Amino acid sequence: MNKRTRTLATALVTTLALGATGCSGGGKSGGSPDRKNPVTSTNGTVIGGTPQKGGTLTVLSNQDFTHLDPARNWVMPDMDFGTRLLYRTLVTYKAEPGAKGSELVPDLAEDLGTPSNGAKTWTFRLKPGLTYEDGTPITAQDIKYNVERSFSPDLPGGPDYAARYLAGAQGYQGPARGRHLDSVKTPDARTIVFELHKPFAEFPYAATLPTFAPVPPKQDKGPQYDNRPFSSGPYKIESYARDKQIVLVRNTHWDPKSDSVRKAYPDRIVVTMGLKGNQIDDRLIASSGTDASAVPWAQLRPESISKVLTKADVKARLLAESSSCTEMVQMHTGRAPFDDLKVRQAVQWALDREAIVTAAGGPAVTDASSAAMPGSLFTGGKQPDTLRIPLSGDPEKAKQLLKEAGKADGLSTRLTVSINDKAIGEAIQQSLGRAGIKVTLETVDPSAFYDTIGDTKNRTDLVYTGWCPDFPSGTTFLPFVFDGRYIKVKGNSGNHSLFKDDAVMKRMDEIAAMTDGAQANKAWQELDGQILAKAPVAPGAMKRRSLLVGTNVAGAYGHTSWSGQLDYATVGLKDPSKSAN
Amino acid sequence: MILYLGRRLLGVAGVLLAIAAVTFTIFYVLPSDPAAAACGKACSDERLEAIRAHMGLDAPLWRQFADFVTGIFTGRTMGTGQYALRCDFPCLGYSYENSENVWDLLVDRLPVSASLAVGAAVLWLVLGLSAGVTAALRKDTLTDRVLMVGAVAAASLPVYFTSVLLIYGLIRLTGLLPYPQYVPFTSDPLSWASNLLLPWLALAVLYAAMYARQSRGAMIESMAEPYIRTARAKGLPRRTVVVKHGLRAGMTPVLTIFGMDLGGLLAGAVITESLFGLPGVGRLFYGALTSGDQPVILGVTLLAATFIVVANLAVDLLYAVVDPRVRY
Repeated sequence: MNKRTRTLATALVTTLALGATGCSGGGKSGGSPDRKNPVTSTNGTVIGGTPQKGGTLTVLSNQDFTHLDPARNWVMPDMDFGTRLLYRTLVTYKAEPGAKGSELVPDLAEDLGTPSNGAKTWTFRLKPGLTYEDGTPITAQDIKYNVERSFSPDLPGGPDYAARYLAGAQGYQGPARGRHLDSVKTPDARTIVFELHKPFAEFPYAATLPTFAPVPPKQDKGPQYDNRPFSSGPYKIESYARDKQIVLVRNTHWDPKSDSVRKAYPDRIVVTMGLKGNQIDDRLIASSGTDASAVPWAQLRPESISKVLTKADVKARLLAESSSCTEMVQMHTGRAPFDDLKVRQAVQWALDREAIVTAAGGPAVTDASSAAMPGSLFTGGKQPDTLRIPLSGDPEKAKQLLKEAGKADGLSTRLTVSINDKAIGEAIQQSLGRAGIKVTLETVDPSAFYDTIGDTKNRTDLVYTGWCPDFPSGTTFLPFVFDGRYIKVKGNSGNHSLFKDDAVMKRMDEIAAMTDGAQANKAWQELDGQILAKAPVAPGAMKRRSLLVGTNVAGAYGHTSWSGQLDYATVGLKDPSKSAN
Repeated sequence: MILYLGRRLLGVAGVLLAIAAVTFTIFYVLPSDPAAAACGKACSDERLEAIRAHMGLDAPLWRQFADFVTGIFTGRTMGTGQYALRCDFPCLGYSYENSENVWDLLVDRLPVSASLAVGAAVLWLVLGLSAGVTAALRKDTLTDRVLMVGAVAAASLPVYFTSVLLIYGLIRLTGLLPYPQYVPFTSDPLSWASNLLLPWLALAVLYAAMYARQSRGAMIESMAEPYIRTARAKGLPRRTVVVKHGLRAGMTPVLTIFGMDLGGLLAGAVITESLFGLPGVGRLFYGALTSGDQPVILGVTLLAATFIVVANLAVDLLYAVVDPRVRY
């Protein structure tokens, strides 16, 4: 997930936190690890049953898409919208709620790809008879073309997995000057072969990313393609006025028989953008007239949560799937006092995660985290409790650890949080204070947050931030957050504990070289626990994506692979005649 | 007259160039890097350089500014090869955030802001002037006091407060009006007006109050002029005296502020548009500020400056029409 995505996520997070200012630290209810989420419609529930075909689904949004060009689309909810409605990729995720949503199914391809040469070569064969919105055939060359486009400096912002894994990609700058990548081969119109410079067992996961959607060279208009991507999915763009409205209508050339995932229930999908968040919430709570057939784009605002939870009929329309992003207190392991394992462990033990959850909006929209990676990256979709620390912490044990580190009198340090996470910062401050760790809080504007904490020389000892995986694999999490070789003095991102441990890095390389995906996943899960034992971070919380849908909406659930955003492959209406025209 | 106009137009061009230069310098010397923002996570230095070159950010500042100014008159091409972007006259640059030419964005948003500004202006002129003139003609009576206290109260309400109050009262509580959603005048005039009524009211309340106070003062002053006494002495009907002689002369200062207000609003009412979710120039500007979309910020600033400077000029020319004593 790129920085911008994280900024957006933090912005949402901050609004949640702001709403709870003043409540942080309060409302403790013991240390039971299995707290029940007060929102019933999560974890496998579909709201509204099976939809009927037809009608107009309205999406009420407070923002425009960052990018819809498949070479540039790298923001979770936008990727969901793009790949579920407008363009198909080689492989995609099942349209299922809960943990099943992270299982792969072939999309344009006939299967999940065939590895050879020790997972350094991946071959995909396209289904026969696939066409674009004008009826022309989708070819393997068009997928290669879009992969090449993603290297173009005129089309920045997209996923960089192709750049990181394809052989001979160094210095390549896109197809604009007639130069092509030799490492992507298309022996015929239905076969595409990717040659990588290192083994990548999880290549099928990367093949779900919009980089691996087809773009016909004839339709390519460079940066302007962002405004009118050519459809290979069930809908095509009828009109798109940036930051105002996008209208999708059926792509009559899309063949449902070739697609096991997309149901395409509504006839039209209209996204109205630039609305105020509180107005969206009010309209969806009331759900009157055509708003009954509406869904929100962004999360419920914190001040609206109580209005929703207090009414049973409204609460029944609330989705709150996990965003699969974990947030943690990251400690500067490169200098005193946090270069001492005991001191870092003291922070882990002192931290009150219940207070953090309360400060972040309560258990309806937040869960306490007990590992570095989110639950979606663990077998069974649940984080293990590796450290076995009570949710509200254990200040006495923390004091003991500090004493062992020779800091019996406690210590003083500073913590940087985004201004949106101020309430969470205060909860951390209070909980560490119980063990004698005196924390001075530094709040930074969200727009400057990543630059501030990325300056490794001048930053504070502690920072509160997180990471979201691009797909359900440790590959997109642990190396970004804990590989010491990626640390930059300035503009550092991901590894904010500046953790550089030879054994861990060696193990990461071993896992990356594994050709068996299942074996690799198990190894990442074990490594997560081994890293936590070395205490570069203290797990904090995981946010949920709270979405309130209208009364006429059916087939709605948050999809685990897109940060809990609504799965646009299956959402539709109960009674299409009640929707707007 | 023509000489005067020529001189003034030259002045307008000078002011706009100066504003462009200052805005350009401010945004381009700031430490933010549009190329880095576009590049995303784990951006390699090599790729960052390529993006920077494509955006033209590797050229010296004076060169970038010269290109920008020439582009306004002649249009320009950004980048090379297959993906080169053509930006025709009057080219105000390209928004990498919106993947569109800034000029096209402005043209697209302008009808919304213009609908908002003109409708609100009609409302506040009618409300403000009638209140002001009534108060002036009934100076020191109860009517005068009530009107002026009301005006002070209304003028001290910030637009975000009035808006929230109106939204609550007229939409949420009574359901009298819909949540505003812009409908173009050309597609459905009735729905255009009913959707804009609320934002018009929100803006008009604030301005009407200021205009009531302003026009009351101007009217009291002009009604005390000797020519009014003469007109009355000639036995002209009261209506003629008030409207043709009193109001016309008293309007000069009101016209001055009206020109500035309308000019400013045409380039977007940031708060009102954002609160009511209207996709006008103001919201475009707000979005550009939060995402650091410098070409759009520069474009809107120039547009606003142009409107204000041109409105100012128009008002100066109108003086001669309104007030027979003014000649150029």
